[in-house]
Amino acid sequence: MEDIRILISGDKAVSVQMGSEISLEVNHRVLMLQAELEKNPIEGVTEMLPTYASLMVHYRPEVIRFRELSEEIMKRTQTMKEISGSKKRIVEVPICYGGEFGPDLEYCAELEHTTPEEIIRKHSQHDYYVYMLGFAPGHPYAARFEEPFSFKRRETARVMIPARSVVVQQNLSDLIPFDQPCGWNIIGQTPCEICDYSRKDPFLVHAGEWTRYIPVTPEEFRKIRKQVEAGKWKPRIIE
Amino acid sequence: MGIQVIDPGIFTTVQDGGRTGYQQYGVTPSGPMDERAFAQANLLTGNPAGTEELEMTFQGGRYCFDTDAVIAITGADMKPQLNGEPIPMYQAVSVEAGSELVLGFAANGCRAYLSVAGGMDIPLVMESRSTLTGKHLGGIDGRKLEKGDRIEFTATVSEVANQESRVLAQPEYSEKEITLRVVAGPQDDGFSREEFRKFFWYGAVITNEADRQGIRLKREIPVKHVGDGNIISDGIAFGSIQVPPNGQPIVMMADRQTVGGYPKIGTVITVDLPLLAQAKPGTQVRFIEVSIELAQELYLRELSSRKEIESQWNK
Repeated sequence: MEDIRILISGDKAVSVQMGSEISLEVNHRVLMLQAELEKNPIEGVTEMLPTYASLMVHYRPEVIRFRELSEEIMKRTQTMKEISGSKKRIVEVPICYGGEFGPDLEYCAELEHTTPEEIIRKHSQHDYYVYMLGFAPGHPYAARFEEPFSFKRRETARVMIPARSVVVQQNLSDLIPFDQPCGWNIIGQTPCEICDYSRKDPFLVHAGEWTRYIPVTPEEFRKIRKQVEAGKWKPRIIE
Repeated sequence: MGIQVIDPGIFTTVQDGGRTGYQQYGVTPSGPMDERAFAQANLLTGNPAGTEELEMTFQGGRYCFDTDAVIAITGADMKPQLNGEPIPMYQAVSVEAGSELVLGFAANGCRAYLSVAGGMDIPLVMESRSTLTGKHLGGIDGRKLEKGDRIEFTATVSEVANQESRVLAQPEYSEKEITLRVVAGPQDDGFSREEFRKFFWYGAVITNEADRQGIRLKREIPVKHVGDGNIISDGIAFGSIQVPPNGQPIVMMADRQTVGGYPKIGTVITVDLPLLAQAKPGTQVRFIEVSIELAQELYLRELSSRKEIESQWNK
């Protein structure tokens, strides 16, 4: 196991680096440390932010100083345990591929020298692991572990793509919660809100969860969209 | 009972102490750009730390009070006037119902703060009243103030305890050059020792691309990375100095993204961030490296002197 490093992020935060690669194992250790710090909190810690390979810990220096905080965090890295009952939690996300919803689907098929159907199959047949949320509220950074695409980003980024777009490159696929600029290819759209402030839990998916993409027809998309707008739709979750 | 917005100024938002606990979901903390001026305004009106205020950028606007109130204005000097008469900043001031408050263009600094004794009635979203305009979150409908908005106050206060002694010194912000102290890291190892030293030798200038998300700096000679200028994305703190592959630093501010994939050479210390929040485009910036111990000591001193004043006034 690699050495854990505590990096200084100014006078109110540290970044605890649990490894130096993007992998399930390293990310799992990040979440283990977060769970340990929730179970055995350090007084003065105000919030935690798990990312691919590190846990950012924000703290109040008037309660605990950097040296003491570092020692306490290192102790927690010794006592942290496998997250109990950490079963795979899969959130099913309906997606309408191609057409007006996925303007780049055909282009992606060209890039892969295959058919649009094959792109959809590769995208929807494997589950995606959500390493972290970031960039925008509820925005998942997710990856699959089988059959990656060979293409990367587009040569030029689009100035604005619509909310709920599903974008891809290599083994990565993100769900876009809000209109934003984006350099990835759009292969579909989900009728679900990825972030909805009016929900009790505004976020469709969370760090450490998995997503499974379910292809739907434009008719099904519109039906689900109506339910979403009426506040009556709930994602299917498999545990 | 509260205020009517006659003219919202250029960019006025509601900010409180910030949104804590939601960065793990990609929600940035927001809160004031100038935490010192913000804290001082609440101190002057006797509000608990972190009570919501209006943050006004470059120009304040025009507001009509339909209730008595006690207010305090801090930060950028917008030459405030009440019913056409100049009123002091950095002082608790009583306002009578029917009064009109006007704040002009910032003669010194960029951002002014208006605190109202008792606070404002703004809905909580994810436990905070701070506005994140980029993501339509919090404050008033997730946006900057508009003409015709109304803000209700939570209490009618016409006087606060020890009001005559509630005065603080008004700072003068340098318009030519500021010096910011920096704690190295988290990715200072993404630069050679020489490049790291050069970062402190050569200054930079604040560009026009400076807002609540971040303040872009321009250096004559870009900062060189050891690698390609990318890291595995990790968390970003207030004041983090990101260096993208083009070598032009960006200081990440209140509405920053929660995570990012560029190396961060250092972080501006908390007590110096207000200087940056108040600096106009064109201002020269110099950096000095300090230890984490000194940075925290300076912050603690500032907190305790504020506590001391608070205990005297709120006695």
